[in-house]
Amino acid sequence: MSSTVEKQSTLRRSLLGLATLLKTSRMLRVGLGILLVLVLLAVLEPWINNYRLGGHKSIEFGIYERHLPYSYEHPLGTDLFGRDILALQFTGLRYSLMIGAVAGSIATLIAVVVATTCGYLGGKIDAVLNSATNAVLVIPALPILIAIATYVRMDLQLMSLTLAIFTWPWAARTIRAQILSLKERGYVELAKVTNFNNLEIMFAEILPNLAPFIGVGFSYAIIGTILAETGLRVIGLGPGEIPSLGLLLNWAIGYGALSQGRHQMVLAPTTFLVLIFISLNLINVGVEETFNPRLKKITGM
Amino acid sequence: MRKTDRILQVEDLRVYYKSIFGDVRSVDGVSFSVGSNEVFGIAGESGCGKSTLVEGILRVIMPPGYIKSGKIMFKEKDLLSLEEEEMRRLRWTELSYIPQGSMSSLNPVLKIEEQMVDAVTSHMSTPKEEASNMAISSLKEVGLPLEVAGMYPHELSGGMKQRVIIATAILLKPSLIVADEPVTALDVVVQKGILQSIANLRDIYGITVIFVAHDLAAHAQIVDRLTVMYAGKIAEIGSVYDIFGDPLHPYSKLLVAAIPSIEKEAVQGIPGLAPSPLDWPPGCRFHPRCPYAIPVCPHDEPPLKEMSPGRYAACHLLG
Amino acid sequence: MEEPLLELKNVTKEYTIGGGLGLTERKTIRAVDKVSFTILGKKPTIVALVGQSGSGKTTIARIILGLLEPTSGEVLYKGKDTRLWLKKDKKTYRHNVQVIFQDPYGIYNPFYRVDRVLFKAVKKFGLASSSEEAHKMVIESMRAMGLRPEDLLGRYPHQISGGERQRLMLVRILLMKPKLVVADEPVSMIDVSLRSIFLNNLQDLKERIEMSCLYITHDLNIAHYVADEIIVLCHGRIVEIGDAKSIVKDPLHPYSQNLVNAIPIPDPTKRWKDAAQIKEVTFEELRAEQGCMYSHKCPHVMPMCKKEVPPLTELGSGRKAACFLYPR
Repeated sequence: MSSTVEKQSTLRRSLLGLATLLKTSRMLRVGLGILLVLVLLAVLEPWINNYRLGGHKSIEFGIYERHLPYSYEHPLGTDLFGRDILALQFTGLRYSLMIGAVAGSIATLIAVVVATTCGYLGGKIDAVLNSATNAVLVIPALPILIAIATYVRMDLQLMSLTLAIFTWPWAARTIRAQILSLKERGYVELAKVTNFNNLEIMFAEILPNLAPFIGVGFSYAIIGTILAETGLRVIGLGPGEIPSLGLLLNWAIGYGALSQGRHQMVLAPTTFLVLIFISLNLINVGVEETFNPRLKKITGM
Repeated sequence: MRKTDRILQVEDLRVYYKSIFGDVRSVDGVSFSVGSNEVFGIAGESGCGKSTLVEGILRVIMPPGYIKSGKIMFKEKDLLSLEEEEMRRLRWTELSYIPQGSMSSLNPVLKIEEQMVDAVTSHMSTPKEEASNMAISSLKEVGLPLEVAGMYPHELSGGMKQRVIIATAILLKPSLIVADEPVTALDVVVQKGILQSIANLRDIYGITVIFVAHDLAAHAQIVDRLTVMYAGKIAEIGSVYDIFGDPLHPYSKLLVAAIPSIEKEAVQGIPGLAPSPLDWPPGCRFHPRCPYAIPVCPHDEPPLKEMSPGRYAACHLLG
Repeated sequence: MEEPLLELKNVTKEYTIGGGLGLTERKTIRAVDKVSFTILGKKPTIVALVGQSGSGKTTIARIILGLLEPTSGEVLYKGKDTRLWLKKDKKTYRHNVQVIFQDPYGIYNPFYRVDRVLFKAVKKFGLASSSEEAHKMVIESMRAMGLRPEDLLGRYPHQISGGERQRLMLVRILLMKPKLVVADEPVSMIDVSLRSIFLNNLQDLKERIEMSCLYITHDLNIAHYVADEIIVLCHGRIVEIGDAKSIVKDPLHPYSQNLVNAIPIPDPTKRWKDAAQIKEVTFEELRAEQGCMYSHKCPHVMPMCKKEVPPLTELGSGRKAACFLYPR
């Protein structure tokens, strides 16, 4: 053991922790890699499209000739409105990820509050909230979302909120389970004997160790919200002026892309969606594997 | 000990673990021999490498661990030169292993007799009925009542489970059994019973036992000879009377003095900390904590020398 | 007459298992059965609560610390019920009744440096008036316990050894100066060579801050070394009380005799002369037992042992035993 005392800040420690995490799990590295690329594309979309489209927006009609085939200028060709298909994908990616992030954040926030309340306080509160969580899980979200979306005019915020309300239970369950396990730790008992009150124990002792699980919960929430949003969009619900990947799919089907042989209009958004889900799932499994090493033997990575 | 009496001879065994910091030298040049029909103890504190040592001998080291070098002569055969298939045949029939914590690894959904029969039939082509009889007689040999055969692990106490483990280990009449911390989690009265059962393996069944434990008092009660390990190497080897009555190595001396006993009034600890395998001290590994260290100790590693027949110690003070 | 520091009166803790949905039988287990003892505390003293697994010793510790509620009976600290203390004057109780847990690995939150357990104790109980003073106190206390602050402050739990972690717990005690410390097998998970350092520190601490300690252990060797008085527990009941040296030299209760007899002496010339009993009692037999919990294995068992629970009888010079061999 070296004799120098290292005074490390929390930031440095968190970064080191992240670095170790990355070193340990190949799945995590791959997942994070893919996600990073996708996020970069989404964030830089305005500049990328600005550059490629010479100042025009991707959804503007008539910038180019219609139905152009694959070329260097238009790697995925153009659609029936003369729009560059690749540019549309980037825009779709951007909005899908944005909705996922916003709705996912709201869902995670709700999940954390609910999970910590019932996980730590236990007893009747836990029983009630747990039943509520399970109830929401059991209610078929999609039909209800469809019903709401049909009757209520959705804008981006309302849509995010509605999605969040149906997705938080998944994250809440993982977090609550972890809290129940953390409650039994020796340092929690020591805190009790040191006259910490419940709130202090919750925030100071348990929450910091929950961070990776909140991260995983967030990940699941994003998956859930993007999935739900895509589902709604494909059937034509939701704000029509916000072109998420799901809406792009809806357009593709509506324009009869497959019968016209313009498969890229369906395959491209689907590929991006699949990449989003794969990357997030890889991250989740990677994190869970690291904290639960037994899983590693089963997945074999 | 005459050469023909040795059932196991380990020569300069090194078991390392690959890590991003380089090789972790858990067992770093260990040599000793075990005579037939004796209980041989391997003592040492946590991190000294005793568990890794026996895992190496039995060739059950899992990556990132690996056997770097050395010879393991078991009944004139070098175990390291055997194919895995031959090694597998040896295990259970000649060499039995009771790993640490094995009493918790009994299959919870099978009855005891079934598990023992499985152990036999998976190593030999014995018919089930005969295997059953072997199981029953094995249970009797460790003093368990017949009903145990039809019970499930969760119905048994810790002591009974450990006896089942021992019974399973002697099913195929091995010549050597290696038991790693077989009594650590047990109550003191149960511990006495299990330790005596282990001693019986030697006395009544003529089996050689390698007994690994950190509790020196347990060694004092049942072993014939023992070795004290420190930081991946051997500090001392000798008969149990020698080690407790007249320990040569400073570590052995301090360790024996550190055990609280109802016969003793005062107890002395050993100051300092056990070193980490990532960072073994140079020269003699015990020198930072040794009250008798001399100038040569931090520079040269003391070789393991035979001080008298069967008595070995690795210390510069012994000339 | 001054109140005793700690008094347990007929403390019982029962657990019910099964019975859900009427599919399994509802069973009651008595982990602790009418346990009563007193620690006067006029002089600082270490009382060892000795018991094997299933004796209920950890349950008793948790009840005293207020982490568990007894099914019946009272725990009195300085004459007042613990439950009352925790309701009306929690801070004083927590300040004066402290703990040293068994597992040096679980008691440190891996997210924080090890200093936190010390500074939090200072802060929570208002032991220093400024952070400079707190810092000074912590450093002095560490040195007083033979630890080097330079080596330990600023470290994370995984960077220091189990022995050091437990000794830091002693520093924590030194800072808080509680009147009563419940130590739950504090050395069972650290190396033998470090145990005596910890135990010597503990005895040192006892004198220095005038505290009493309830030392819970399964190891009679350690109890004999560190404690002034020993209480022997068998399956939730007290079977013998007496001063440490006498109980080990001359155990009165057959269970204590068996226990002392089974201790491995670290001396090959002093090996066990008799064979241990292999016969074990089943859980059901124990649960259904109406009389003495040791009656199943006791070599001196008499018919009345199975009918009544032998009371804890005073036998003079502070010695007590619960056995019909020693009538009132």
